[in-house]
Amino acid sequence: MSEAAAALGRVVATERKPNTPHEFHFWTAIDSPVGIGTIVRVDGAQPVDGQIPHIYGIVVEGFSYTDLQSPMHDVLGHDGLPTTAGYAPSERAEIRLYTAAVLRQIPEEPLQPVPMGQVFLADEADVQVALRMDSYLREGARTGIPVGVYRAGGTDAVIYLDADFLLGPEAAHLNITGVSGLATKTSAVEWLLSSLFTHFPEEKGSIAAVAFNVKGPDLCYLDQPGKVEETDKALYEKLGVEPNPFEHVEYFAPYTAKGLSLNTFRNNEALLDKVRPLTWGLREVLQFAEVLLNKDDVDAKADALIDFITQNVVDKEFTDPMLSKKHRVQSFADLEGWFRDVLQGMEKKDGESWRTHHVATIRKVRNRLSNISTRCAGLVTDSGSVSDLPFGSFADRTVYVVDVANLEEDAQDLIFARIVSKLREHLERRDLGVKHLVVFVDELNKYAPGDGTDTYVRKMLLDIAERGRYLGLVLFSAQQFRSQVHRRVVGNSGTSLFGRMDADELSTPGYAVLSPATRTKLATLEKGQLMIRHPHFTQPIFVRFPRPSVMQGREGAERYPQASDVSLDAAVLRALRPLDPTITLPWVQDLIALYTEDEIIRARNATLLARPENVKAYFSAQFRKIIPAQAAPRPLAGSIKSAPENDPYGF
Amino acid sequence: MLVTNGGQDAASRAALRLLLERLPDMSVVDGASSMEIVSGGDPPILRSAQLVEGGSMRAIRIPDLSRDGASGFGAFLDGAQSVRVVAHHFGLPILLGTVSAAIRMRVNRRLTTWGHQAPRVERKIYAPLRYIPRLVDLALDGTAPGGWKIVDTSTADINGDYPSQHPSALLERATRAVDRDREALEDQLAESWCARSESPLFVDGGISRSAKVSASACAIGVIKSHRTLYVEGDALRTVLGLERGERSSIFRVSPRSRNSVLSWYLRVRDARGHDPMWGLVRVESAESDRSSERADEVSRWIIAETSPLALPDGRWDKMSYGIRDCEEFLRAIS
Repeated sequence: MSEAAAALGRVVATERKPNTPHEFHFWTAIDSPVGIGTIVRVDGAQPVDGQIPHIYGIVVEGFSYTDLQSPMHDVLGHDGLPTTAGYAPSERAEIRLYTAAVLRQIPEEPLQPVPMGQVFLADEADVQVALRMDSYLREGARTGIPVGVYRAGGTDAVIYLDADFLLGPEAAHLNITGVSGLATKTSAVEWLLSSLFTHFPEEKGSIAAVAFNVKGPDLCYLDQPGKVEETDKALYEKLGVEPNPFEHVEYFAPYTAKGLSLNTFRNNEALLDKVRPLTWGLREVLQFAEVLLNKDDVDAKADALIDFITQNVVDKEFTDPMLSKKHRVQSFADLEGWFRDVLQGMEKKDGESWRTHHVATIRKVRNRLSNISTRCAGLVTDSGSVSDLPFGSFADRTVYVVDVANLEEDAQDLIFARIVSKLREHLERRDLGVKHLVVFVDELNKYAPGDGTDTYVRKMLLDIAERGRYLGLVLFSAQQFRSQVHRRVVGNSGTSLFGRMDADELSTPGYAVLSPATRTKLATLEKGQLMIRHPHFTQPIFVRFPRPSVMQGREGAERYPQASDVSLDAAVLRALRPLDPTITLPWVQDLIALYTEDEIIRARNATLLARPENVKAYFSAQFRKIIPAQAAPRPLAGSIKSAPENDPYGF
Repeated sequence: MLVTNGGQDAASRAALRLLLERLPDMSVVDGASSMEIVSGGDPPILRSAQLVEGGSMRAIRIPDLSRDGASGFGAFLDGAQSVRVVAHHFGLPILLGTVSAAIRMRVNRRLTTWGHQAPRVERKIYAPLRYIPRLVDLALDGTAPGGWKIVDTSTADINGDYPSQHPSALLERATRAVDRDREALEDQLAESWCARSESPLFVDGGISRSAKVSASACAIGVIKSHRTLYVEGDALRTVLGLERGERSSIFRVSPRSRNSVLSWYLRVRDARGHDPMWGLVRVESAESDRSSERADEVSRWIIAETSPLALPDGRWDKMSYGIRDCEEFLRAIS
């Protein structure tokens, strides 16, 4: 607490506008640097229990008025001519009167109305006390994660979130709201992940993040350096974070429907080395069939058959007297063969049911399941080859980006549901590879809306929001309209960030707790400014955060344009060259010339999955041996026997 | 000058406690006084004055008057007083008077308190000691316990006559004593200002009480009340007929026991549809070699000071905003 600082205001209270334990009023000079969101300290004049009370507050409302009793007086005074108003030799007496919400009182007991006293601008130490950050910034138990800088009247104070309340176990989850296009939501998450990776205490264990890129190229260049302005460099220095891109980032994306190239904005050849394909087979998908099949599809009978297939058919030797052969179903193609055999067997027997399953149900399930590989082409393979996130070997301080931006909604839902379920399973077993995992999901309006039908994805998000913190599974979510997101998802977010808000959104009941001035400030926030609600802060705080030090989506898309569809041999070359730069197009063309497209893609996928030492050898080994066609040897012309010398018929 | 008859406040209660120790049988007044506060002003009169400018009183249009005219005043001086009958001792009034004065200086078009001489606030008990002898010893030391000063309102006048015990007469004596105390504070501040030869000071009221102030070029008195009009006959018609932006010829005011100053009437607002005194002020200034030019210049300043309006004060037609600001300031501190 700086005693030398000059007072900038005085507390005032009247019978009509009294002070309370949670709110007080003060006036300042006309030119004082106080504004909405400024944190101030009141030094009481009289001791309470032998201690001078100090009250910390944040300005939530401001008033300005003069001694003018009626606007008409001003009109009369200037003969109705506004242009002459500037000629008056004196300005009217004017007041700047502010209302502040109490952040903290010291001593905390007895809790009394704010006393009269002088008002000071809070310095950095005051801000720490006011926001109760002193409890988690003390040496030996430091769990503060810098989120931004509070600025007012020359005070620059770093604002910290408490890791215990951001990632659990005390509270968890973070939600960001703001209008689109102002580089707030994604930028804030990128910045916060940088800060989290830098400042998350070592003793609390490892941490990683899985980010779902659901739109545009925003998250596609996290490993590429971005432009950092001088002002942002100063912020980075103040916040103790290096202005560098993420050191460890891995990208995952399914193939396009044709299967030739990866379906991601980051498929430029220069960046492919960190992109891995995301492909799943029957086994991976069947468990989440519910995501892709609507309730009309999956009635109790269909559900029972799917369960039967999952339990008894997939990955097992399946025999049945009715079937023509023994089946081992490992892919969608195998499953189709199994269905065909079952239905043919039923037709031969002229039976209506098989193992209690009606033929109509079997036909329906066959139709729906076979459909999946078409609907999610590129992600789901007929062959059953799997390329997945490294569940079990997640690395500390690594971001895993799953690019689903270009996928159909079904495929997005399937990816989200399966990855989150797997993350949860591994975290429950404590074998994910990291102790804490942040899952970032944008467009929560779409995935967890407050109204509409209950989807599998929404149920999963609710599950993370309500129980994730006990597992170390933390949801960082973002949306444009918080009011339209399921209340239990945002309600369980211990920390909320707000960028510039739409006026319509601000008029919804959820924002009624904010003063009109605070709402006005929210509606006019600049880029790089946020309002923060955190369990330790009794009132929302405004901070400024630096622009992320990673390449922004638009710039990345210009510098690394998305590759267009290419020929099969070029696609193979693009996929394999990051693994072995010596591979050339003629080599690829020579090798694949005799094989079908399916075989070539399967060989490429297997090579990418294995990432072998000797890429050429491994890739070549994936193909069946074909003896090159050779010209048939011309039969030797038989020699014309010479007629015996004594052959009477010889000529 | 701001005159109020204030209610009971902390100062009144402290004074009452002191008085009750000596006069336990006195009757305390709750709320407003039941006795009429008698004005100590003179009765309305016409008085002749020596004309300084020209051979007869005439209306002179002030040259170069414009809407965007600047003002040369750098500060404003006003005083305030409040008088309250706090008790009666067998019908004799005991009053508590508060007088104050302040100079508000203009810096960047905003008014702020002059830093070289702090505003003055004084509170005193006004009581007829001759008729309430139990209070005499309190007054003997000059200052009673608690820092209270007691002013005797029953002293003999210049003829050696003591006032009667008529409560109204004693009340009038007390009110005049408070007036004098307030004027003394105003004069002290004005003299301090003039001693520093700062920019011209707009004084609410006359400047002739103080020899130093009345002789100083940096004090201009502006009088809003006209119980004494320094014109007679045709000159009266001329003055009452002044139009906005016109002043009268300059005359010299030399009241008894006061100092001689130059003076003129000035109409600062259009009086059509109002009473003849509407927007009419009398200006007092020190003697000057170039009195006409000075009167024109000062008149332009005073007219400039009519903006912004001093509303909601009832005297806004004559009052400058700077003086209203002084009064609001004094109301806040006294």
